[in-house]
Amino acid sequence: MTKAQDERRGWTAARRALMAGLRLTSLRLRLVVVFALVALTAAVLASGIAYWLNREAVLTRAQDAALGDFQQEMQNRAGALPTNPTQAELQHTAGLMAGTGQHFSVLLIAQDEDGNTVVGNSDLDRFTLADVPRPLREAVDRRQPSGEHNSAPYHLYWQRTEEGGTPYLIGGARVIGGGPTGYMLKSLEPEAKDLDSLAWSLGIATALALIGAALLAQAAATTVLKPVHRLGTAARRLGEGKLDTRLRVSGTDELAELSRTFNRTAEALEKRVADMSARDEASRRFVADMSHELRTPLTAITAVTEVLEEELDAETGSVDPMIEPAVRLVVSETRRLNDLVENLMEVTRFDAGTARLVRDDVDIADQITACIDARAWLDAVELDAERGIMARIDPRRLDVILANLIGNALKHGGSPVRVSVHPDTRDGGKDMIIEVQDHGPGIPEDVLPHVFDRFYKASASRPRSEGSGLGLSIALENAHIHGGEITAANSPEGGAVFTLRLPRDSEPAPEDPETGAPADTDDTDRPDATGEAPGEGEEK
Amino acid sequence: MSSVPSLLLIEDDDAIRTALELSLTRQGHRVATAATGEDGLKLLREQRPDLIVLDVMLPGIDGFEVCRRIRRTDQLPIILLTARSDDIDVVVGLESGADDYVVKPVQGRVLDARIRAVLRRGEREANDAASFGSLVIDRAAMTVTKNGEDLQLTPTELRLLLELSRRPGQALSRQQLLRLVWEHDYLGDSRLVDACVQRLRAKVEDVPSSPTLIRTVRGVGYRLDTPS
Repeated sequence: MTKAQDERRGWTAARRALMAGLRLTSLRLRLVVVFALVALTAAVLASGIAYWLNREAVLTRAQDAALGDFQQEMQNRAGALPTNPTQAELQHTAGLMAGTGQHFSVLLIAQDEDGNTVVGNSDLDRFTLADVPRPLREAVDRRQPSGEHNSAPYHLYWQRTEEGGTPYLIGGARVIGGGPTGYMLKSLEPEAKDLDSLAWSLGIATALALIGAALLAQAAATTVLKPVHRLGTAARRLGEGKLDTRLRVSGTDELAELSRTFNRTAEALEKRVADMSARDEASRRFVADMSHELRTPLTAITAVTEVLEEELDAETGSVDPMIEPAVRLVVSETRRLNDLVENLMEVTRFDAGTARLVRDDVDIADQITACIDARAWLDAVELDAERGIMARIDPRRLDVILANLIGNALKHGGSPVRVSVHPDTRDGGKDMIIEVQDHGPGIPEDVLPHVFDRFYKASASRPRSEGSGLGLSIALENAHIHGGEITAANSPEGGAVFTLRLPRDSEPAPEDPETGAPADTDDTDRPDATGEAPGEGEEK
Repeated sequence: MSSVPSLLLIEDDDAIRTALELSLTRQGHRVATAATGEDGLKLLREQRPDLIVLDVMLPGIDGFEVCRRIRRTDQLPIILLTARSDDIDVVVGLESGADDYVVKPVQGRVLDARIRAVLRRGEREANDAASFGSLVIDRAAMTVTKNGEDLQLTPTELRLLLELSRRPGQALSRQQLLRLVWEHDYLGDSRLVDACVQRLRAKVEDVPSSPTLIRTVRGVGYRLDTPS
């Protein structure tokens, strides 16, 4: 895998994790918001009603008490005044009236004997006639028509005002039957203060309710989200192929039911996969056993057909000319059958995972030359490879790969086939690339993805005698077991290009065979009883 | 050694035994056959063949066991005939003392070439003696002595030691050794070399697990050193 792919995968994973986190927090957030809204509504409603009722009760009580006193005083004291009192009398009476327990200021207005308006004032700084609102004055002075329900011509009126942020109660009355008009001013500040502190308390209670709601929401979210998170983790593990993943089920709620469903699904899936892999395993073993069984008779046949072949080549005339084509057919078909069984065995070894590498340090150019030479392809293949590119690979498997790639190129592309070797410069020279290019018509686009499939034939009309149909598939498996890769493509100049990429050191352990091995150098060979080759770790 | 090499073929399958006997006889070998390991060991004592071709899968005692029993007393070359090229088979076979192996379905020509190559290893060459510490290799007599005692080496082990001793202090790659000793083509199995080196060390080294004569050169192969 390349670095870029790694990076991209890392990015995707990080983004997915972030998205999952956001999703979780958003559910949590939604729960908190809903809880908070409910709590807020309830608290505000309750506080509002409580405040309003309280306020009314407190104000009404204070007001009734003050007005009752005022009325009493008006009757007792102001009513006792002469019809036209003097300024001094008024003043005195006002002072007396204000002196009662209710602490209000009193303003008395009357007409003296000369017809002048005289004003008596208990508290000149705070309460003058200017402080009394005009509508109140008019209402107090208005003479009511007497009737069935109304026995008195003048009534007591009151009004609440506010001055400089302090609420006041102003009341006014007239002594019936001629007498002074009296006004009272009572500060409602103590009541306002009480109400303020009540409002504060309610506000604090509301805030506490909000905090409580948020905490509750968190707890609720956790109880819901924890099983959801567990479920998510389990589902991911299941997706990664760990089919024995199960959830611990507790309780009877919907989430427990979901967990049970998950467990049932996982169980069914596991059973299904086990069934399928057992069937797969059985069919693989059948192919392995079958190809193995084919070998015994084939060994005998092969040995004998060679004798027959030598008879043919001896030109002693010992074979009947009528029989000769039959013998040749037997010989050539036996060879094909041999190859096919050999390839089948190879494929079953890969499928069963028993294929092993027997590594050795080889010169790649030498290997390719030998491979071409052994198959008498020297004239048909152009080799572009410098000697000295050493690699630690399985020479037999490299030969299988090369023979299949070059053989395929010769068969379908035609000569000359060009084979070039160069170290892969992109990856610090750790890999090497072997390219096999032919000069044929190339591979059709719809065939390209299938060239490495087993028994895939490019066209149905192609004669079936061309190879076993396993060659390229085996080549690919052999590249994979080295940690390498083969890709097929069409060259822009025409012809197909198969690119084989192999690591130059396919050893899984990242140790430098020349210098890096600390305990396993020249003089300290491993004890040889392990069955491993001396100085080599060839098994994975 | 007689001019016509005599072989003992131990193989349980009638068809293969007959076919291989036919093929090998045509290649000019004298072939005796046995169907079981026990029969084979009896024939070995009676006929003293030059080489044994041994099937791995045998009824009764299997090929590996036959190989081990032969090696207890005899150093004659053994070629294993294995139906499986599965690696564990090859490794076990080489460890039990086989000189070479051929995978079924075997071609008569390949088997013949292997037989001839193995037999050539026992041939003498005119040369003098060389000594490496307490080890003395007499190339003319084809004997190896350690501290004056004769060592029982198989022809393959002897040939490997000779090829190494011909280039003392020089590392030889496994592929080179395969060509020199086994006469394999470019696709020789390097485990043959490793297994043989292992057996040779067991015989010539003072402490086989920490060799001073035949040393591993990592990333290259083996070399023979004169101990200082």
